[in-house]
Amino acid sequence: MTKRIFRSICLVALVVFLASVVLFMGVLYDYFSGVQKGQLSTQTELAARGVADEGIHYLEGLEINAYRITWIGTDGTVLFDSSSDVNEMENHLEREEIQQALETGYGESSRYSITLMERALYCAKRLPDGTVLRLSMSQNTLLTLTLGMMQPICIIILIAIVLSLVLASRLSKRIVEPLNRLNLDEPLNNEEYDELSPLLSRIDIQQKEIKRQHDALLHKQKEFEAVTENMAEGILLLNASGNVIGMNHAALQLFGVDSSYIGQHILSMNRSIEISKLLSEAEHGSHAETILELSGGKYQININPVTVNGERFGSVLLILNVTEKENAEQMRREFTANVSHELKTPLHTIAGSAELLENDMVKEEYLKSFYSRIHKEAQRMIRLVDDIIRLSHLDEGAADMKWETVDLYEMAEEVIKELDTEARKTNLKMELNGEHVSIVGIPRLLQSIIYNLCDNAIKYNRPDGTVTVTVDNWKEMAVLTVSDTGIGIPPEHQERIFERFYRVDKSRSKELGGTGLGLSIVKHGVKLHNGEIQVRSAENGGTSIQIMLPKDASKMNGH
Amino acid sequence: MRSKFDEQLALLHKELITMGSLCENAIALSAKALDEGNLTMSEEVFDFTGQINQKERDIEAMCMRLLLQQQPVAKDLRVISSALKMVTDMERIGDNSGDIAEIFTMGHITPAHNKLNIHDMALATIKMVKDSIDAFVKNDYKLAKEVIEYDDVVDRHFDQIKLQLIRCLSEPEADGEFALDLLMIAKYFERIGDHAVNIAEWVIFSITGSKEA
Repeated sequence: MTKRIFRSICLVALVVFLASVVLFMGVLYDYFSGVQKGQLSTQTELAARGVADEGIHYLEGLEINAYRITWIGTDGTVLFDSSSDVNEMENHLEREEIQQALETGYGESSRYSITLMERALYCAKRLPDGTVLRLSMSQNTLLTLTLGMMQPICIIILIAIVLSLVLASRLSKRIVEPLNRLNLDEPLNNEEYDELSPLLSRIDIQQKEIKRQHDALLHKQKEFEAVTENMAEGILLLNASGNVIGMNHAALQLFGVDSSYIGQHILSMNRSIEISKLLSEAEHGSHAETILELSGGKYQININPVTVNGERFGSVLLILNVTEKENAEQMRREFTANVSHELKTPLHTIAGSAELLENDMVKEEYLKSFYSRIHKEAQRMIRLVDDIIRLSHLDEGAADMKWETVDLYEMAEEVIKELDTEARKTNLKMELNGEHVSIVGIPRLLQSIIYNLCDNAIKYNRPDGTVTVTVDNWKEMAVLTVSDTGIGIPPEHQERIFERFYRVDKSRSKELGGTGLGLSIVKHGVKLHNGEIQVRSAENGGTSIQIMLPKDASKMNGH
Repeated sequence: MRSKFDEQLALLHKELITMGSLCENAIALSAKALDEGNLTMSEEVFDFTGQINQKERDIEAMCMRLLLQQQPVAKDLRVISSALKMVTDMERIGDNSGDIAEIFTMGHITPAHNKLNIHDMALATIKMVKDSIDAFVKNDYKLAKEVIEYDDVVDRHFDQIKLQLIRCLSEPEADGEFALDLLMIAKYFERIGDHAVNIAEWVIFSITGSKEA
């Protein structure tokens, strides 16, 4: 900017300066030349009078330095010259001014010297005797004058340059300063230059466009983040060389790392062979999956290579928690094995006894015990199958069971009556405390919950012990507690007693005749009623199982 | 130019992690084979040993190429030279794991025999290897220090096993072959611990530039 302005100012200054120099020189030179010529011709006239009057003596008496006086004879020989020796001078007849003077009586001419540094002006006058008197004076040429003025001209040019530099820098500063002060955040609020307003309005439009796009992008990203961050599954994005580009919160937690690992290679987070294999699979462009143990659970990791137009951009890892699925699978396998085992045992007894009876291998007096054993085992099988049916029914959500209003207290009363004979066998005392509580539930299910709990309380009690059933209100819940004074459950078993076929003491349970499914039914039943179960027990210190049921669970279930 | 170099360094880092992972698996597998008396597992250990040897050659070649082509200085030079040394130790860990598996396949050691706390020693050694690789991956000076200190634990285990074997041999019906094989295995574990210490020392070297004694 400054440079350009400087150049223009300098150019203008120089052009103006030079033009005026040329103008002045031309005009003045012409004027002075005219004056000099006039003087010369006047002097020539005077000198010619003098010579015509006094002859050569007049010339010899003159002491003039400003002019050169030459007197030339009619044949062109020089008769007198004020500055050179006459004898050495050539014939002057051919000179232009002499010729003119000889012809017309007066002549003049001008000639440049050989170096062009001087110009000689000549004026010649024919004397009455036919000789010619010539006066000449030297005059500086234009070039000489210019050369002589070179120094001041240079100085003036220099001054012009310096001045234009200063001016240029000041001017450009003045022009640029408002430009620098332009507020580009709000381009329309600037009023310095009208010339800039198209540019500024264009900037304004573009800024608004950029902001709009930026906002849209940000919004999209936020949406995406909100979705991925709240996913339970881990998501991991890798670039082509296997470095982590991004991962969601779940992935961070699963790998037990912080976000500083973003940008590093995935093997820095987890260098298990499985992941290496997945990576090499993805490098070959194929989808792969594996099961990996991460932070205590089992996780299925899927890898999908990302390719666009055949070029590999990276890969996406999806991490799914399959712990529950795997565990459920295992439980199902165990359940099937247990069911077949539990069903086989009584069948063996029945088949064996029946075979002995068929072949008359049993003595008369033992017949009855054999019949009763077959009956007992068959009963056991029926109970078992009943329980299994009930459980599978519960597994399916018991959709067809009717929800009714039931009085828990009355129901407990009935159950106690039912189990009275059983309790008497070991001389147990059964108590019922509390108040009437009505809840909405599935009567059959509630009945079997109370029955199973009381049944267990009787089975695992000591002789002469007590079973206490309490029914109470607690806020919006009905609380049913069944306590016994029995053998209790060791703490390490307490978590597992609700599992199917789980037995604390396997040998003892068999002789008591339980199916091993009772508590499982209780658990499922309570779950269906949106209730909670609490177990308080100590080895040999009795067991107390408390069930809390919401009074109107049907609403929560949407029935 | 520099970005290419950075890429190569990242690749070297990744390859070292992979090799470390292979070593961890090799030793864990040989310890597990020993624990469960599983002969097929020791076959897998040999497989790992082969892979580890191959990786060592690859990484060495990579380091040499980097040294020649990039002429690294300062930290880069430290990283590459310590990588060169580390692969040697990792390769020894792989070999020693293979040796353990090999002794095991001779069949003098059965889980029934194995009442000595070689299991604890194996666990301690595996922890050392894992931590040393972790220290490398995370450039963790503190963890590397811990690995070096943890070597004492493995050494103590070795001394205990030695004492127990001496007691065992002094009994009249002592099984000499079992005792010697077990001693060798214990020694290999102890060696693996030392190699883990070496790795940790090289990690410290690549961080600080000085190799502490």
